[in-house]
Amino acid sequence: MLRHAKLLLAAPLLALAAACTTTSPDYCAVDVRGEIETAMRTVETKLGSGCEYHFDGYFQSLLTLAEANPDKNNRRYFSDHLMRVQEMGVISRRQAEGLYNRYFNVKFVSLQGDYNTCSQTCPIRKQVMSDMQAELHDKELGLLRASNDAASFYRADHLLKETDLVLEATCRACVAGGTR
Amino acid sequence: MTPLTYRGPVLMLAALCLLASATGHATGSGPVVRLFPTTVLEDIRETGQVAEDMENNLQQVIHRLDMQQQLYTESLCQGADGDQGCERIAKQLGATYLEMLEVMSDRLPEMERAVNSTRSSLEKRLRQELGQRTTPTSLQNTLLGEAGTATPNAEERPALRGRSGVRLSDRFKQYYDLVSTSKNGPSQSLAVVAADIYLDMEEASQLIAFTQQEISRAALMEQLNQSFGMITPEMSAVVSGVKEILFGETAMESPIASPPYAIGEPEFESPLAM
Repeated sequence: MLRHAKLLLAAPLLALAAACTTTSPDYCAVDVRGEIETAMRTVETKLGSGCEYHFDGYFQSLLTLAEANPDKNNRRYFSDHLMRVQEMGVISRRQAEGLYNRYFNVKFVSLQGDYNTCSQTCPIRKQVMSDMQAELHDKELGLLRASNDAASFYRADHLLKETDLVLEATCRACVAGGTR
Repeated sequence: MTPLTYRGPVLMLAALCLLASATGHATGSGPVVRLFPTTVLEDIRETGQVAEDMENNLQQVIHRLDMQQQLYTESLCQGADGDQGCERIAKQLGATYLEMLEVMSDRLPEMERAVNSTRSSLEKRLRQELGQRTTPTSLQNTLLGEAGTATPNAEERPALRGRSGVRLSDRFKQYYDLVSTSKNGPSQSLAVVAADIYLDMEEASQLIAFTQQEISRAALMEQLNQSFGMITPEMSAVVSGVKEILFGETAMESPIASPPYAIGEPEFESPLAM
Protein backbone atom coordinates (compact mmCIF):
# COMPACT_ATOMS: atom_id res chain seq x y z
CA MET A 1 0.00 0.00 0.00
CA LEU A 2 2.78 2.35 1.06
CA ARG A 3 4.75 1.37 -2.06
CA HIS A 4 1.81 2.35 -4.27
CA ALA A 5 1.52 5.74 -2.59
CA LYS A 6 5.22 6.41 -3.21
CA LEU A 7 4.78 5.60 -6.83
CA LEU A 8 1.82 7.95 -7.11
CA LEU A 9 3.92 10.74 -5.65
CA ALA A 10 6.98 9.97 -7.76
CA ALA A 11 5.18 10.03 -11.09
CA PRO A 12 4.30 13.75 -11.15
CA LEU A 13 7.76 14.64 -9.86
CA LEU A 14 9.40 12.67 -12.66
CA ALA A 15 7.14 14.32 -15.20
CA LEU A 16 8.07 17.74 -13.83
CA ALA A 17 11.78 16.93 -14.02
CA ALA A 18 11.43 15.69 -17.59
CA ALA A 19 9.63 18.87 -18.57
CA CYS A 20 12.54 20.92 -17.27
CA THR A 21 15.13 19.05 -19.36
CA THR A 22 13.05 18.84 -22.55
CA THR A 23 13.39 21.90 -24.72
CA SER A 24 10.26 23.52 -26.00
CA PRO A 25 9.71 23.70 -29.78
CA ASP A 26 10.25 27.46 -29.68
CA TYR A 27 13.63 27.08 -28.07
CA CYS A 28 14.94 25.06 -31.05
CA ALA A 29 13.45 27.35 -33.66
CA VAL A 30 16.16 29.29 -35.49
CA ASP A 31 15.57 32.09 -37.90
CA VAL A 32 18.26 31.12 -40.38
CA ARG A 33 19.28 34.28 -42.17
CA GLY A 34 22.09 36.76 -42.58
CA GLU A 35 25.69 35.65 -43.05
CA ILE A 36 25.89 31.93 -43.77
CA GLU A 37 28.81 31.40 -41.38
CA THR A 38 27.03 33.21 -38.57
CA ALA A 39 23.86 31.24 -39.22
CA MET A 40 25.88 28.03 -39.08
CA ARG A 41 27.36 29.01 -35.71
CA THR A 42 23.88 29.76 -34.37
CA VAL A 43 22.65 26.41 -35.61
CA GLU A 44 25.64 24.66 -34.03
CA THR A 45 24.91 26.31 -30.69
CA LYS A 46 21.36 25.03 -30.85
CA LEU A 47 22.52 21.58 -31.88
CA GLY A 48 24.82 21.53 -28.87
CA SER A 49 22.04 22.41 -26.45
CA GLY A 50 19.40 19.77 -26.93
CA CYS A 51 18.18 20.48 -30.46
CA GLU A 52 20.15 17.79 -32.27
CA TYR A 53 16.94 16.24 -33.61
CA HIS A 54 16.40 19.40 -35.63
CA PHE A 55 19.59 18.88 -37.60
CA ASP A 56 17.85 17.96 -40.87
CA GLY A 57 15.63 21.03 -40.75
CA TYR A 58 18.57 23.30 -39.92
CA PHE A 59 20.60 21.84 -42.77
CA GLN A 60 17.83 22.46 -45.27
CA SER A 61 17.41 26.02 -43.98
CA LEU A 62 21.13 26.63 -44.37
CA LEU A 63 20.97 25.33 -47.94
CA THR A 64 18.10 27.69 -48.66
CA LEU A 65 20.08 30.56 -47.19
CA ALA A 66 23.11 29.61 -49.31
CA GLU A 67 20.92 29.41 -52.39
CA ALA A 68 19.74 32.94 -51.72
CA ASN A 69 23.36 34.06 -51.32
CA PRO A 70 25.37 32.05 -53.84
CA ASP A 71 29.09 32.06 -53.25
CA LYS A 72 31.90 29.72 -54.28
CA ASN A 73 33.02 29.63 -50.63
CA ASN A 74 29.72 28.13 -49.53
CA ARG A 75 31.03 24.71 -50.40
CA ARG A 76 33.86 25.14 -47.89
CA TYR A 77 31.55 26.61 -45.26
CA PHE A 78 29.28 23.59 -45.49
CA SER A 79 32.24 21.24 -45.29
CA ASP A 80 33.51 23.00 -42.14
CA HIS A 81 30.02 23.08 -40.64
CA LEU A 82 29.48 19.37 -41.24
CA MET A 83 32.91 18.59 -39.76
CA ARG A 84 32.09 20.57 -36.61
CA VAL A 85 28.64 18.99 -36.26
CA GLN A 86 30.23 15.59 -36.66
CA GLU A 87 32.83 16.40 -33.99
CA MET A 88 29.98 17.42 -31.69
CA GLY A 89 28.58 13.93 -32.13
CA VAL A 90 25.30 15.12 -33.66
CA ILE A 91 25.91 13.15 -36.85
CA SER A 92 28.32 10.39 -37.75
CA ARG A 93 31.29 10.76 -40.07
CA ARG A 94 29.44 8.69 -42.65
CA GLN A 95 26.42 11.03 -42.49
CA ALA A 96 28.66 14.07 -42.81
CA GLU A 97 30.40 12.60 -45.86
CA GLY A 98 27.09 11.53 -47.37
CA LEU A 99 25.58 14.99 -47.06
CA TYR A 100 28.65 16.85 -48.27
CA ASN A 101 29.16 14.62 -51.28
CA ARG A 102 25.49 14.55 -52.17
CA TYR A 103 25.29 18.33 -52.45
CA PHE A 104 28.81 19.57 -53.09
CA ASN A 105 30.83 16.89 -54.85
CA VAL A 106 30.87 15.94 -58.51
CA LYS A 107 30.93 12.27 -57.56
CA PHE A 108 27.72 10.46 -56.79
CA VAL A 109 27.01 8.92 -53.41
CA SER A 110 24.40 6.79 -55.18
CA LEU A 111 27.10 5.00 -57.16
CA GLN A 112 29.25 3.38 -54.55
CA GLY A 113 30.11 -0.11 -53.43
CA ASP A 114 32.86 -2.60 -52.84
CA TYR A 115 31.54 -5.48 -54.92
CA ASN A 116 31.95 -5.75 -58.66
CA THR A 117 29.65 -3.91 -61.02
CA CYS A 118 28.12 -7.06 -62.52
CA SER A 119 26.95 -8.34 -59.16
CA GLN A 120 26.24 -5.12 -57.27
CA THR A 121 25.00 -2.49 -59.68
CA CYS A 122 23.61 -4.34 -62.68
CA PRO A 123 20.76 -6.09 -60.84
CA ILE A 124 19.51 -2.69 -59.63
CA ARG A 125 20.74 -0.51 -62.49
CA LYS A 126 17.46 1.33 -63.00
CA GLN A 127 17.20 2.13 -59.30
CA VAL A 128 20.81 3.34 -59.22
CA MET A 129 20.20 5.61 -62.20
CA SER A 130 17.03 6.94 -60.64
CA ASP A 131 18.89 7.65 -57.38
CA MET A 132 21.67 9.37 -59.30
CA GLN A 133 19.12 11.52 -61.10
CA ALA A 134 17.64 12.57 -57.75
CA GLU A 135 21.12 13.26 -56.46
CA LEU A 136 21.85 15.44 -59.48
CA HIS A 137 18.97 17.67 -58.38
CA ASP A 138 20.64 18.07 -54.99
CA LYS A 139 23.93 18.81 -56.71
CA GLU A 140 22.15 21.45 -58.74
CA LEU A 141 21.20 23.10 -55.46
CA GLY A 142 24.58 22.64 -53.79
CA LEU A 143 26.99 23.15 -56.66
CA LEU A 144 25.14 25.36 -59.09
CA ARG A 145 22.70 27.46 -57.09
CA ALA A 146 24.45 27.68 -53.73
CA SER A 147 28.11 27.58 -54.80
CA ASN A 148 27.94 29.21 -58.23
CA ASP A 149 30.06 26.36 -59.56
CA ALA A 150 28.52 25.64 -62.96
CA ALA A 151 31.57 23.75 -64.23
CA SER A 152 31.39 21.17 -61.45
CA PHE A 153 27.66 20.79 -61.85
CA TYR A 154 27.92 20.16 -65.59
CA ARG A 155 30.69 17.71 -64.91
CA ALA A 156 28.36 15.83 -62.57
CA ASP A 157 25.64 16.00 -65.20
CA HIS A 158 28.04 14.59 -67.77
CA LEU A 159 29.19 11.90 -65.37
CA LEU A 160 25.58 10.82 -64.91
CA LYS A 161 25.07 10.47 -68.66
CA GLU A 162 28.35 8.65 -69.16
CA THR A 163 27.53 6.32 -66.30
CA ASP A 164 24.17 5.56 -67.87
CA LEU A 165 25.83 4.64 -71.17
CA VAL A 166 28.67 2.63 -69.64
CA LEU A 167 26.37 0.76 -67.27
CA GLU A 168 23.99 -0.09 -70.07
CA ALA A 169 26.81 -1.63 -72.09
CA THR A 170 28.56 -3.26 -69.15
CA CYS A 171 25.40 -4.78 -67.74
CA ARG A 172 24.45 -6.16 -71.15
CA ALA A 173 27.92 -7.69 -71.37
CA CYS A 174 27.52 -9.15 -67.87
CA VAL A 175 24.17 -10.72 -68.79
CA ALA A 176 25.57 -12.01 -72.08
CA GLY A 177 28.43 -13.61 -70.16
CA GLY A 178 25.91 -15.51 -68.10
CA THR A 179 23.96 -16.72 -71.10
CA ARG A 180 26.48 -17.19 -73.89
CA MET B 1 44.08 3.51 -101.45
CA THR B 2 42.06 4.24 -98.33
CA PRO B 3 43.50 5.99 -95.28
CA LEU B 4 43.11 2.76 -93.37
CA THR B 5 45.68 1.08 -95.58
CA TYR B 6 48.39 3.24 -94.06
CA ARG B 7 47.59 2.13 -90.59
CA GLY B 8 49.19 -1.29 -90.53
CA PRO B 9 52.48 -0.24 -88.90
CA VAL B 10 50.76 2.52 -86.96
CA LEU B 11 48.52 -0.03 -85.30
CA MET B 12 51.29 -1.66 -83.31
CA LEU B 13 52.75 1.70 -82.32
CA ALA B 14 49.35 2.99 -81.23
CA ALA B 15 48.68 -0.12 -79.21
CA LEU B 16 52.08 0.20 -77.54
CA CYS B 17 51.39 3.85 -76.72
CA LEU B 18 48.05 2.91 -75.27
CA LEU B 19 49.61 0.19 -73.19
CA ALA B 20 52.37 2.49 -72.01
CA SER B 21 49.99 5.23 -70.98
CA ALA B 22 47.79 2.69 -69.23
CA THR B 23 50.75 1.39 -67.25
CA GLY B 24 51.76 4.91 -66.39
CA HIS B 25 48.48 5.52 -64.62
CA ALA B 26 48.47 2.25 -62.77
CA THR B 27 50.43 3.67 -59.90
CA GLY B 28 48.01 6.40 -58.89
CA SER B 29 44.50 5.37 -59.73
CA GLY B 30 43.90 1.77 -58.83
CA PRO B 31 43.50 -1.06 -61.28
CA VAL B 32 44.20 -0.36 -64.92
CA VAL B 33 41.25 -0.83 -67.21
CA ARG B 34 42.36 -2.35 -70.51
CA LEU B 35 39.46 -2.19 -72.88
CA PHE B 36 41.25 -2.00 -76.18
CA PRO B 37 43.92 -4.64 -76.61
CA THR B 38 45.35 -5.13 -80.08
CA THR B 39 42.77 -7.78 -80.98
CA VAL B 40 39.88 -5.39 -80.39
CA LEU B 41 41.63 -2.64 -82.35
CA GLU B 42 42.11 -5.03 -85.24
CA ASP B 43 38.41 -6.01 -85.12
CA ILE B 44 37.38 -2.35 -85.26
CA ARG B 45 39.72 -1.66 -88.15
CA GLU B 46 38.47 -4.66 -90.09
CA THR B 47 34.80 -3.83 -89.51
CA GLY B 48 35.44 -0.35 -90.89
CA GLN B 49 37.05 -1.86 -93.97
CA VAL B 50 34.14 -4.24 -94.57
CA ALA B 51 31.66 -1.40 -94.10
CA GLU B 52 33.55 0.70 -96.63
CA ASP B 53 33.49 -2.10 -99.20
CA MET B 54 29.77 -2.51 -98.69
CA GLU B 55 29.15 1.22 -99.02
CA ASN B 56 31.13 1.38 -102.25
CA ASN B 57 29.07 -1.44 -103.69
CA LEU B 58 25.76 0.00 -102.62
CA GLN B 59 26.31 3.69 -103.19
CA GLN B 60 25.81 3.58 -106.95
CA VAL B 61 22.69 1.42 -106.74
CA ILE B 62 21.15 3.57 -104.04
CA HIS B 63 21.90 6.72 -105.99
CA ARG B 64 20.10 5.24 -109.00
CA LEU B 65 17.22 4.25 -106.75
CA ASP B 66 16.98 7.81 -105.45
CA MET B 67 16.91 9.21 -108.97
CA GLN B 68 14.17 6.82 -110.03
CA GLN B 69 12.19 7.59 -106.91
CA GLN B 70 12.52 11.30 -107.63
CA LEU B 71 11.39 10.81 -111.21
CA TYR B 72 8.42 8.77 -110.02
CA THR B 73 7.39 11.48 -107.58
CA GLU B 74 7.97 14.40 -109.91
CA SER B 75 5.98 12.65 -112.66
CA LEU B 76 3.04 12.56 -110.26
CA CYS B 77 2.88 8.79 -110.61
CA GLN B 78 1.55 8.24 -107.11
CA GLY B 79 -1.99 6.97 -107.62
CA ALA B 80 -1.80 7.31 -111.40
CA ASP B 81 -3.06 3.80 -112.11
CA GLY B 82 -2.88 2.60 -115.69
CA ASP B 83 -0.33 5.17 -116.85
CA GLN B 84 2.17 3.22 -118.95
CA GLY B 85 5.04 5.62 -118.35
CA CYS B 86 4.58 5.42 -114.59
CA GLU B 87 4.36 1.66 -114.72
CA ARG B 88 7.64 1.55 -116.57
CA ILE B 89 9.34 3.78 -113.97
CA ALA B 90 7.92 1.66 -111.17
CA LYS B 91 9.24 -1.52 -112.77
CA GLN B 92 12.67 0.02 -113.22
CA LEU B 93 12.56 1.13 -109.61
CA GLY B 94 11.62 -2.37 -108.52
CA ALA B 95 14.44 -3.87 -110.54
CA THR B 96 16.99 -1.51 -108.97
CA TYR B 97 15.57 -2.33 -105.58
CA LEU B 98 16.10 -6.02 -106.29
CA GLU B 99 19.65 -5.24 -107.34
CA MET B 100 20.22 -3.48 -104.03
CA LEU B 101 18.88 -6.46 -102.15
CA GLU B 102 21.21 -8.76 -104.06
CA VAL B 103 24.25 -6.65 -103.25
CA MET B 104 23.24 -6.57 -99.63
CA SER B 105 22.59 -10.26 -99.62
CA ASP B 106 26.12 -10.83 -100.93
CA ARG B 107 27.80 -8.42 -98.55
CA LEU B 108 25.84 -8.78 -95.34
CA PRO B 109 27.27 -12.12 -94.18
CA GLU B 110 30.78 -10.64 -94.14
CA MET B 111 29.51 -7.51 -92.45
CA GLU B 112 27.68 -9.63 -89.92
CA ARG B 113 30.81 -11.64 -89.16
CA ALA B 114 32.92 -8.48 -88.71
CA VAL B 115 30.32 -6.72 -86.55
CA ASN B 116 29.75 -9.79 -84.41
CA SER B 117 33.45 -10.27 -83.95
CA THR B 118 33.91 -6.68 -82.75
CA ARG B 119 30.85 -6.91 -80.56
CA SER B 120 31.95 -10.17 -79.05
CA SER B 121 35.52 -9.06 -78.28
CA LEU B 122 34.30 -5.79 -76.77
CA GLU B 123 31.64 -7.60 -74.80
CA LYS B 124 34.29 -9.79 -73.23
CA ARG B 125 36.49 -6.82 -72.35
CA LEU B 126 33.60 -4.82 -70.92
CA ARG B 127 32.47 -7.76 -68.82
CA GLN B 128 35.95 -8.52 -67.52
CA GLU B 129 37.31 -5.03 -67.10
CA LEU B 130 34.29 -2.92 -66.14
CA GLY B 131 31.87 -5.60 -64.97
CA GLN B 132 34.01 -7.95 -62.93
CA ARG B 133 37.22 -6.11 -62.07
CA THR B 134 35.61 -2.76 -61.30
CA THR B 135 33.43 -1.69 -58.39
CA PRO B 136 30.80 1.04 -58.77
CA THR B 137 33.13 3.35 -56.86
CA SER B 138 36.12 2.70 -59.10
CA LEU B 139 33.93 2.89 -62.21
CA GLN B 140 33.00 6.42 -61.18
CA ASN B 141 36.65 7.25 -60.61
CA THR B 142 37.52 5.82 -64.01
CA LEU B 143 34.93 7.95 -65.74
CA LEU B 144 36.07 11.05 -63.92
CA GLY B 145 39.72 10.34 -64.61
CA GLU B 146 40.94 10.08 -61.06
CA ALA B 147 44.42 10.94 -59.82
CA GLY B 148 44.35 14.47 -61.09
CA THR B 149 44.50 13.69 -64.77
CA ALA B 150 43.55 16.64 -66.91
CA THR B 151 39.95 16.75 -67.97
CA PRO B 152 39.75 16.50 -71.72
CA ASN B 153 38.79 19.45 -73.83
CA ALA B 154 35.36 19.39 -75.38
CA GLU B 155 36.76 18.77 -78.85
CA GLU B 156 38.87 15.87 -77.62
CA ARG B 157 35.99 14.10 -75.98
CA PRO B 158 34.32 11.45 -78.08
CA ALA B 159 31.01 12.32 -79.58
CA LEU B 160 28.72 9.72 -78.17
CA ARG B 161 25.94 7.60 -79.46
CA GLY B 162 23.33 8.78 -81.87
CA ARG B 163 25.62 10.58 -84.29
CA SER B 164 24.00 10.70 -87.65
CA GLY B 165 25.14 12.08 -90.92
CA VAL B 166 28.23 9.92 -90.64
CA ARG B 167 29.02 6.99 -92.89
CA LEU B 168 29.37 3.68 -91.13
CA SER B 169 32.95 3.25 -92.35
CA ASP B 170 33.83 6.79 -91.26
CA ARG B 171 32.38 6.08 -87.88
CA PHE B 172 34.67 3.09 -87.53
CA LYS B 173 37.61 5.19 -88.65
CA GLN B 174 36.71 7.69 -85.95
CA TYR B 175 36.47 4.91 -83.41
CA TYR B 176 39.79 3.49 -84.49
CA ASP B 177 41.55 6.86 -84.47
CA LEU B 178 40.05 7.74 -81.13
CA VAL B 179 41.19 4.53 -79.51
CA SER B 180 44.52 4.04 -81.17
CA THR B 181 45.75 7.59 -80.73
CA SER B 182 44.22 8.26 -77.33
CA LYS B 183 46.18 11.08 -75.74
CA ASN B 184 44.23 11.44 -72.55
CA GLY B 185 45.53 8.41 -70.79
CA PRO B 186 43.69 5.21 -70.30
CA SER B 187 40.19 4.37 -69.28
CA GLN B 188 38.69 7.79 -68.76
CA SER B 189 36.98 8.34 -72.06
CA LEU B 190 37.82 4.90 -73.35
CA ALA B 191 35.24 3.29 -71.08
CA VAL B 192 32.64 5.49 -72.71
CA VAL B 193 34.00 4.81 -76.19
CA ALA B 194 33.98 1.06 -75.55
CA ALA B 195 30.39 1.22 -74.30
CA ASP B 196 29.46 3.35 -77.28
CA ILE B 197 30.95 1.00 -79.86
CA TYR B 198 29.56 -2.08 -78.13
CA LEU B 199 26.01 -0.74 -78.06
CA ASP B 200 26.34 0.35 -81.68
CA MET B 201 27.49 -3.15 -82.60
CA GLU B 202 24.58 -4.66 -80.70
CA GLU B 203 22.16 -2.56 -82.72
CA ALA B 204 23.97 -3.19 -85.99
CA SER B 205 24.05 -6.91 -85.33
CA GLN B 206 20.32 -7.03 -84.65
CA LEU B 207 19.62 -4.89 -87.67
CA ILE B 208 21.75 -7.04 -89.94
CA ALA B 209 20.00 -10.19 -88.75
CA PHE B 210 16.64 -8.51 -89.28
CA THR B 211 17.65 -7.22 -92.71
CA GLN B 212 18.85 -10.65 -93.78
CA GLN B 213 15.50 -12.11 -92.81
CA GLU B 214 13.73 -9.38 -94.67
CA ILE B 215 15.81 -9.60 -97.83
CA SER B 216 14.52 -12.97 -98.97
CA ARG B 217 10.95 -11.97 -98.16
CA ALA B 218 11.34 -8.56 -99.82
CA ALA B 219 12.97 -10.09 -102.88
CA LEU B 220 10.10 -12.51 -103.33
CA MET B 221 7.53 -9.75 -102.86
CA GLU B 222 9.30 -7.51 -105.32
CA GLN B 223 9.52 -10.26 -107.90
CA LEU B 224 5.75 -10.57 -107.59
CA ASN B 225 5.30 -6.81 -107.70
CA GLN B 226 7.32 -6.60 -110.88
CA SER B 227 4.29 -7.96 -112.71
CA PHE B 228 2.20 -5.07 -111.36
CA GLY B 229 4.79 -2.32 -111.08
CA MET B 230 4.20 -1.17 -107.50
CA ILE B 231 6.31 0.80 -105.06
CA THR B 232 5.49 -0.52 -101.66
CA PRO B 233 6.01 1.21 -98.30
CA GLU B 234 8.22 -1.77 -97.38
CA MET B 235 10.56 -0.90 -100.22
CA SER B 236 10.88 2.66 -99.01
CA ALA B 237 11.41 1.50 -95.44
CA VAL B 238 14.17 -0.94 -96.38
CA VAL B 239 15.96 1.63 -98.54
CA SER B 240 15.71 4.23 -95.78
CA GLY B 241 17.05 1.72 -93.26
CA VAL B 242 20.03 0.87 -95.44
CA LYS B 243 20.81 4.54 -96.05
CA GLU B 244 20.51 5.29 -92.38
CA ILE B 245 22.93 2.58 -91.35
CA LEU B 246 25.46 3.01 -94.10
CA PHE B 247 25.38 6.70 -94.83
CA GLY B 248 23.91 8.11 -91.63
CA GLU B 249 21.14 9.92 -93.46
CA THR B 250 18.76 10.69 -90.62
CA ALA B 251 17.89 13.64 -88.45
CA MET B 252 20.66 14.55 -86.05
CA GLU B 253 20.11 13.19 -82.60
CA SER B 254 21.65 15.16 -79.82
CA PRO B 255 24.72 13.44 -78.46
CA ILE B 256 25.57 13.38 -74.83
CA ALA B 257 26.98 16.81 -74.35
CA SER B 258 27.48 19.41 -71.74
CA PRO B 259 29.04 22.79 -71.67
CA PRO B 260 32.82 22.52 -71.85
CA TYR B 261 34.71 22.28 -68.63
CA ALA B 262 35.95 25.58 -67.39
CA ILE B 263 39.58 25.91 -66.55
CA GLY B 264 39.94 28.06 -63.50
CA GLU B 265 41.37 28.26 -60.05
CA PRO B 266 42.07 25.08 -58.09
CA GLU B 267 39.00 23.53 -56.58
CA PHE B 268 38.32 23.40 -52.88
CA GLU B 269 39.03 19.91 -51.54
CA SER B 270 36.91 18.95 -48.57
CA PRO B 271 38.17 16.38 -46.06
CA LEU B 272 34.68 14.90 -46.40
CA ALA B 273 35.02 14.35 -50.16
CA MET B 274 34.88 10.80 -51.52
